[in-house]
Amino acid sequence: MRMPKDVIRLNVGGKLFVTSSTTLANAGSDSMLSAMIGDYWRTASCAPAAEDFFIDRNPAYFSVLLDLLRTGELHVPPGISERALHREALFYGILDHVRAAKWGPLDGNRLECVNSIRGRATGDATAIRAAQDGGCCVARGPMVHVYDWSMEEQTPLTLDYVNVNDAGFLNPQRVVICTCERGDKTGGMALFNVKTGRLEHKYEVCHHGQQKNCTAGAVAISDASLFASCRGRSNEYGIGCWDQTTGKLTDFLYEGHSGPLGDACKLQWLPHSSMLMVAALYPLSDDSFISFLDMRSNSVVWSWTDADKPIVGDEKVVMDAIAMDECSTVCVVNQFDNLGFIDTRASNQGVRWRDHYKPGKISEAEEHCYSKLAVWGSQLFSSKGDSVYVFCTPDLDAARCVQTAKLRKSEGGEISDISVGGERLFVLHNEEDVFDVWETSGFFSMTNSY
Amino acid sequence: MSLSKKKTFKIEPFKHKVEIDPRYAERTWSILEDAIHEIYNHNASGLSFEELYRNAYNMVLHKYGDKLYAGLVKTMTQHLKDMAKSVEGSQGGLFLEELNRYWGEHNKALQMIRDILMYMDRTYVPNYNKTPVHELGLNLWRDNVVRAPKIKSRLLDTLLELVHSERTGEVINRGLMRNVTKMLMDLGPTVYHEDFEKPFLTAASGFYRLESQEFIEFCDCGDYLKKAEKRLNEEIERVSHYLDSKSEAKITTVVEKEMIAAHMNRLVEMENSGLVSMLTDDRYEDLGRMYSLFKRVSTGLVLVRDVMTAHLRDTGKQLVTDPERLKDPVEFVQRLLDEKDKYDKIITSSFYNDKTFQNALNSSFEYFINLNARSPEFISLFVDDKLRKGLKGVSEEDAESILDKVMMLFRYLQEKDVFEKYYKQHLAKRLLSGKSVSDDAERSLIVKLKTECGYQFTSKLESMFLDMKTSKDTMQGFNSLLASSDNSDSPTLSVQVLTTGSWPTQSGASCNLPTEILTICDKFKTYYLSTHTGRRLTWQTNMGTADLKATFSKGQRHELNVSTYQMCILLLFNSLDRMTYKEIELATDVPTLDLKRSLQSLACVKGKNVLRKEPMSKDISEDDVFVFNDKFSSKFYKVKISTVAAQKESEPEKQETRQKVEEDRKPQIEAAIVRIMKSRRFLDHNNIVSEVTKQLQARFLPNPSVIKKRIESLIEREFLERDKVDRKLYRYLA
Repeated sequence: MRMPKDVIRLNVGGKLFVTSSTTLANAGSDSMLSAMIGDYWRTASCAPAAEDFFIDRNPAYFSVLLDLLRTGELHVPPGISERALHREALFYGILDHVRAAKWGPLDGNRLECVNSIRGRATGDATAIRAAQDGGCCVARGPMVHVYDWSMEEQTPLTLDYVNVNDAGFLNPQRVVICTCERGDKTGGMALFNVKTGRLEHKYEVCHHGQQKNCTAGAVAISDASLFASCRGRSNEYGIGCWDQTTGKLTDFLYEGHSGPLGDACKLQWLPHSSMLMVAALYPLSDDSFISFLDMRSNSVVWSWTDADKPIVGDEKVVMDAIAMDECSTVCVVNQFDNLGFIDTRASNQGVRWRDHYKPGKISEAEEHCYSKLAVWGSQLFSSKGDSVYVFCTPDLDAARCVQTAKLRKSEGGEISDISVGGERLFVLHNEEDVFDVWETSGFFSMTNSY
Repeated sequence: MSLSKKKTFKIEPFKHKVEIDPRYAERTWSILEDAIHEIYNHNASGLSFEELYRNAYNMVLHKYGDKLYAGLVKTMTQHLKDMAKSVEGSQGGLFLEELNRYWGEHNKALQMIRDILMYMDRTYVPNYNKTPVHELGLNLWRDNVVRAPKIKSRLLDTLLELVHSERTGEVINRGLMRNVTKMLMDLGPTVYHEDFEKPFLTAASGFYRLESQEFIEFCDCGDYLKKAEKRLNEEIERVSHYLDSKSEAKITTVVEKEMIAAHMNRLVEMENSGLVSMLTDDRYEDLGRMYSLFKRVSTGLVLVRDVMTAHLRDTGKQLVTDPERLKDPVEFVQRLLDEKDKYDKIITSSFYNDKTFQNALNSSFEYFINLNARSPEFISLFVDDKLRKGLKGVSEEDAESILDKVMMLFRYLQEKDVFEKYYKQHLAKRLLSGKSVSDDAERSLIVKLKTECGYQFTSKLESMFLDMKTSKDTMQGFNSLLASSDNSDSPTLSVQVLTTGSWPTQSGASCNLPTEILTICDKFKTYYLSTHTGRRLTWQTNMGTADLKATFSKGQRHELNVSTYQMCILLLFNSLDRMTYKEIELATDVPTLDLKRSLQSLACVKGKNVLRKEPMSKDISEDDVFVFNDKFSSKFYKVKISTVAAQKESEPEKQETRQKVEEDRKPQIEAAIVRIMKSRRFLDHNNIVSEVTKQLQARFLPNPSVIKKRIESLIEREFLERDKVDRKLYRYLA
């Protein structure tokens, strides 16, 4: 029998695997497998081609991973521990392949709840934030619990009894946490290593060459910078901008007539237009202000407020806002969970409300979670009660969106926060300490436009 | 064994904790350390990748990442220090080769070490903010080899020396050079920049400073530029061969600064070879080189342009103010055109049609053409000359191109209305004497003027053409009338009826026509007025010509072509042979100046003197006596007796034309003022002046004091009034 030239015989823990060097090359140049068969080592060891490569690992797991390299699909047979599989993949240097094979691009209409992570606390978590690789963190009082993409909990970050306002992943290994400042020069914004749990950098705010103590409100992260809304003790109110590599303050945009920037509770980086959305909303500020900043010129390019509109009866109050970068629209939600849209191509436009629901009577006894918004491409996610509604928006006019799915998992009560990232949707519940992970399984769909 | 001795029991505690061998880390590390040694000693064939990888993996897994990383740094540093020693010890010429060889070895070893420690790179390094293995290897190489005290300066010196010897014409090993500079680039942009590029640029700067000094002393401008261009190209080529492409801009800046910017002024001003002589000698190639080299320096082109402009203005000024040149207007304009052609060619072929140079050229021409107040007249004369004879036998395209060039000069004129005035006069003469070479050329020029200056400018010129055409028709009708009435003996008359106002006629200059002529003139008058009622005809005797048949002694017959005035004078001699000046003046009633001129041409021109003057002299005085010259002879049957009138205007005539132009400008200025005030209502003095100037500058540049006078006149006539509070403010009165 003639054997192809690129046949590789592997002896893994006593079991013989025969594969090809092309299959192993699928592992990528910085993996153990391709290094092993690479030129440097093969020629250096002068091993005859027929000699087996020996690897001292468990063959059962290697079998699964070899299959992954061959087919690009991950099939986990019964009796294989996922955790151990990840460990083995890390050994071979192909953990990223495993992660990529696990779930597909996020599609709000085909989401499955794959995991509900239950903690030991009593609920009342403030926020959930997704990481770029599918991990997430949950902020609860002065604690931040971090989970990697396999939902393995990392070292919890304890912030010395200072409440966490917001958090954001710089990369899957580094999380930026914003807290209130305290008189003793602690608090503010800092960078933590999620693997070691250590504080790695504290972001400083300088005013006239003097270091100031600031409360960091919301945070947003772009390719090279990070932004946070800051409230200091004297007049350091505004938006700070730090360089990601050096960690130094590069810019500070002080509050102008465009509203209380320092009180912003939501920052969103818009990569498409290279702008930063800053939203200062009720209850942190009395009136709602939403503005777009161009950080290259340090100027406000667009802004919207309801401060100058007369208040009538149960005036609709904007509780959350999110910009849909590609359709020039800001989507907002009010205290009755009604969705509305603001066109950012015109200045000082009113809100076009999609719904006009108004409850007859709000029961005071029951704690109510206000609606939260998240956006992913052209899909809009809005939480209401214990469900998440998915809306698909046409390219140009977000206001003509259509509700296409409703996601609900019965446990955990009302939803206090949602976050999208790493092709996953995270839903945080209020009554119990539990959050759900939604992802799209490996099937891919396409939109027919005709 | 004594009883007193207590028996002691010792209970060994049960070991719950399973501890790994405390020397485990040491042992594992020593395996890896040995492997690193082997790799550096080219002895890796006995190593098992899997075993080494597994060991490194285990160390990281068991939290000995720190130890592994520190060990790696220590071992690698040690090897690099050894390598540095060998490189230091290498013989002069082999130094670079040794360094390059070790660099290759280190790279290979680094690759293999990185493979073994891949797991550490993936987990330990990012979590503890360490430098990844590959980058670490480069940093260690940089610090222990490239920047080792004994290597750093030697490396730099060697590199610079090689570059220097290449600059002086030697052949060097470019491949080796490329490898070494590539190594510096691989070590990071700062290493390349600090350790090589900066000193390289300084050295280049020094080299070229000296060289340019030498060149400038011994070369002329053209040669210097050639050398500079060569050097520049060499440096660009050098960069492409063995330097970072980003260095190109930097090194060219150095060469530009040292070789061009530093000597720019001196080069341009070089005697006998600088810019001025290049321009004079039309050295297109040198000029092109100068342009492209100086373009690289920020103020280079400005300098070239300024010097060119100054030179052009200077020569132009000399040209237009040279009294010799003023004698021949045609030559004068031809010289201007030649100058323009010359510079056009230079700009096209050497200055890449640079717009700023074209503008400089235009502004220079505009400057010096208007230095001579007679330029409009001369240009018109030039056209006149061309249209009278110059265009004869010239193809249509060439004629067009000559006219286009004239139009170009015309564009430079500030006093376009003066040109118009003269042009009208010259055109009138051409039309009336039927001397125009080509009707098409005439019309083509009118069209050009029209596109340049608008309908108004040419409307009168066009009506002159129309008059000529209708006159032809009228004459046909008149002649057929005469033919029918059979008057064969009377003189033939040719009349051109000119519309008053369209033609530059001097009115009132009439004379007593001889009776024979008068009869037929009256006949024409009757004929014309019968077809055109309500018109008035005035005879412009000053513009006519006549052909006379005269018989001299020995029966010699000649046909004399003379002006109307001359005809009147000559006909007097039909009855008398001798007349005094006074008698002639009385009989003809020709204006004094014209009479003198006519007599001069009849009596004082040698070979054409139909009359004799007593006493003989060049000028006509009132006491002169004129006698019919019976001895007149000529080779030709037809003799043209031209009036002694310089083609160029005489001084008083010039003054007169000037006066007329000034007169004509007045209504134009007033019209402009009224137009502006009508739309603005209020305006202060300065703004009116600037607006009027703007509106009229297509035709001429009005003098502010003239504008002021016109404003005052308009105030008197109650078109405008001064504001009662602010006297500088004018108000329009509807």
